[in-house]
Amino acid sequence: MEKLGTLKVNSLSKGFGPKGQGLKVLDDVNLTVEPGEFISIVGQSGCGKTTFLRLVVGLESDYQGEILLDGKRLNGPDLERGVVFQDHRLLPWLTVEKNVGLGLKNAGKGEARRKVQEHIELVGLKGYEKHYPHQLSGGMSQRAAIARALVNRPQILMLDEPLGALDALTRMYMHQELERIWRQEGITMIMVTHDMDEAIFLSDRVVIMSSRPGTIKKIMPVKLARPRDRASIEFARIKEELLEEFHLHTETPFAYSI
Amino acid sequence: MRTLKRKLLGLVAPVLLLAAWDYVTRRELFSPQLLPPSEMLLETWWDMQTSGELALNMRVSLCRVAGGFALGAALGFALGTAMATCKAVDDYLGPLFNTVRQVPIVGWLPFLIVWLGIGELFKVAFISLGALIPMALKTYEGIKAVSPGFLELARVFEFGRFRQLTKIMLPSALPSLLIGLRLSLSEAWMLVVAAELVVASVGIGNTMTVARRLFQTDVVLVSVIAIAITGYLGNALLALLEARLLASRRPTCAQ
Amino acid sequence: MNIPLQVAGFLGRSYRGAISFLALIGIWAALARLQAFPAELLPAPDAVLTTFLQSAASGVLGASLGASLGRIAQGFLIGCSLGLLLGASMGVSPAVESLFAPLFNALRQVPIIGWIPLIIVWCGIADLSKIVFIALGAFFPMAINTFEGIRSVPHGYLEVARVFEFGKLRLLGKIVLPGALPSIVTGVRLSLGASWMLVVWSEINTRSAPGIGDMLDSAREGSKMDVVIVCIVVIGAVAFLINELLGQLEAQLQGWKKTSR
Ligand SMILES: Nc1ncnc2c1ncn2[C@@H]1O[C@H](COP(=O)(O)OP(=O)(O)O)[C@@H](O)[C@H]1O
Ligand SMILES: [Mg+2]
Repeated sequence: MEKLGTLKVNSLSKGFGPKGQGLKVLDDVNLTVEPGEFISIVGQSGCGKTTFLRLVVGLESDYQGEILLDGKRLNGPDLERGVVFQDHRLLPWLTVEKNVGLGLKNAGKGEARRKVQEHIELVGLKGYEKHYPHQLSGGMSQRAAIARALVNRPQILMLDEPLGALDALTRMYMHQELERIWRQEGITMIMVTHDMDEAIFLSDRVVIMSSRPGTIKKIMPVKLARPRDRASIEFARIKEELLEEFHLHTETPFAYSI
Repeated sequence: MRTLKRKLLGLVAPVLLLAAWDYVTRRELFSPQLLPPSEMLLETWWDMQTSGELALNMRVSLCRVAGGFALGAALGFALGTAMATCKAVDDYLGPLFNTVRQVPIVGWLPFLIVWLGIGELFKVAFISLGALIPMALKTYEGIKAVSPGFLELARVFEFGRFRQLTKIMLPSALPSLLIGLRLSLSEAWMLVVAAELVVASVGIGNTMTVARRLFQTDVVLVSVIAIAITGYLGNALLALLEARLLASRRPTCAQ
Repeated sequence: MNIPLQVAGFLGRSYRGAISFLALIGIWAALARLQAFPAELLPAPDAVLTTFLQSAASGVLGASLGASLGRIAQGFLIGCSLGLLLGASMGVSPAVESLFAPLFNALRQVPIIGWIPLIIVWCGIADLSKIVFIALGAFFPMAINTFEGIRSVPHGYLEVARVFEFGKLRLLGKIVLPGALPSIVTGVRLSLGASWMLVVWSEINTRSAPGIGDMLDSAREGSKMDVVIVCIVVIGAVAFLINELLGQLEAQLQGWKKTSR
């Protein structure tokens, strides 16, 4: 018997065009995600990562195969599955506080306020409750978006290149934050990314996709103790291995240890 | 310095105009009936003000505008929202609406008089028809322009239609809605004058028609100025509302 | 594969749109047949059609329309040219702008219809006052849109001109006017639309000579509702044509603008 919160994707295929029969974007994707796991999906741009994520969120229909959560077929979006979009999609006319509370359902006033406050603190935006999105930096906006997605306590959180627009330093800081939130909340996270370091730093397993049509080429476990050290030899070795999948070789694999 | 110079330059044209006016009236190149001396306008204004004539007529016109504008804008908002959010309504009513709105509103005036008579009902209906159209259009455009990303967000959070409308669509369409309100108000203000010029026994438009027939050009001119100032104030009021409502959206200290 | 679906979708939509037209005419016909309202209020649709054909055949409609269009031609040409002139000079010269902008902005606060009593006092109730009125109505949108069009020419283009050391005339002819053209066409459309509304209204307001507005309002006085409806439809059709033709020109120019970015 599987644990509660297991996501199973069986021979999933998806095409766009009339009735999903046109151009094939995903072909025969199989993946099982255990509850509490951190999964990264890497692959060239255009290989169908976003499409896969949107399918699991329930924003796309007309696919072949199965997407099962605890053995049940998905039927449209559900508060059990949260998502952080690539463009943070904060509503510009609402304050951080109101944005975070946007999706909150079935909560009394006091409870709602408490939950919102709690999640704002969780992502480190305390003191910015009354700010509007245009008053936030890119990293802060993404953190607000993460808080908004977490506030309903989803079983699974999906993140589509959530840190893609950030500078390298802010990104590394956000990696630590994301890991902290993940450990603290015990939520399953599936993250799409371009950044190999990011994938290795955060993931239990890295899913490598190849394009046209998008399929899973390889799933690579990352068995490093957390918190991980980007400068360690093991880290560099895994990165080397990962890059080889894309036919890219780093010339000096140990450059990091210098 | 530059702005001061610009402002002074801006005074040149009005001052020249007044000087020419003064010269013409002093030399009596036209009869004072056609062009009263400019200082007479102040007297006339004072007379109309103290006798209560101006206030009374203005009040009647404003009441008509208020009624017609409120009704027309509310119906326009409802129609625009219905067409923008419900495809069936759009399919059924869109072509009809787009056909009807081609007719310049003043063209409906005789038609409405036949049906509704020349009383208040006609005036309010006429004004609200004029106010309805820009409001419906701007509401429709505003809601249709909502970013699809925000609508997806509504799906992810399992918003019902009502929450989708009130939390996403209308706030996003707010700037367009406010433009609609302004267009709608200025249309209403123009149409009340139009209706009163043609049929009325009281109202600022009626004041002008009576004065025109009696060749009281001074009264006509004072009325024109009063209409302009009132229209300007109405617009300024809505601009103020707009500034308040949209203040939080303007980037004030983007980092 | 895609096209039949699109065609079906379009037919489905226009079919729904047609239903509401047919329903409207059906209700109208039924009410007229039942004589729910007196014929002065609600003539039968076929009576309106007959009236339309008759007045078209007898030339009454054409003559009225022609008279109105004649007034527009004069008023619009005067107003539009003056608007273009003022808008363009304010656009290219900040000095002219500071000189005229305050007066211009003050004058345009008057709802355009409010001018007519004054114009009648000065110009009488004959054609002259109507033409002046139309010219005034055409003037404002033309001036505003020309001005804004010129001011919205991207600064980068002006720099290009400086790099190539264009003279004033070439700058105007090669950069400023083409850049402002879409907005100027918008001005022409709005200004022509305003002219059409104002000719109708001035003819309703003072009935001194034939015209479509005059025909409309005298039909109202004579309780000839069929003629009233015919006139409204014709007025709407002309407005539609103005909007459509100039709108298409505008869209083309805008398209050119987009691709050149
Ligand atoms: N709504 C859509 N209609 C048609 N094609 C689409 C649509 N969305 C995505 N695609 C196509 O699917 C492919 C995969 O897109 P996407 O999943 O966004 O890639 P990734 O996120 O990996 O960069 C691309 O070739 C894209 O053009
Ligand atoms: Mg993507």
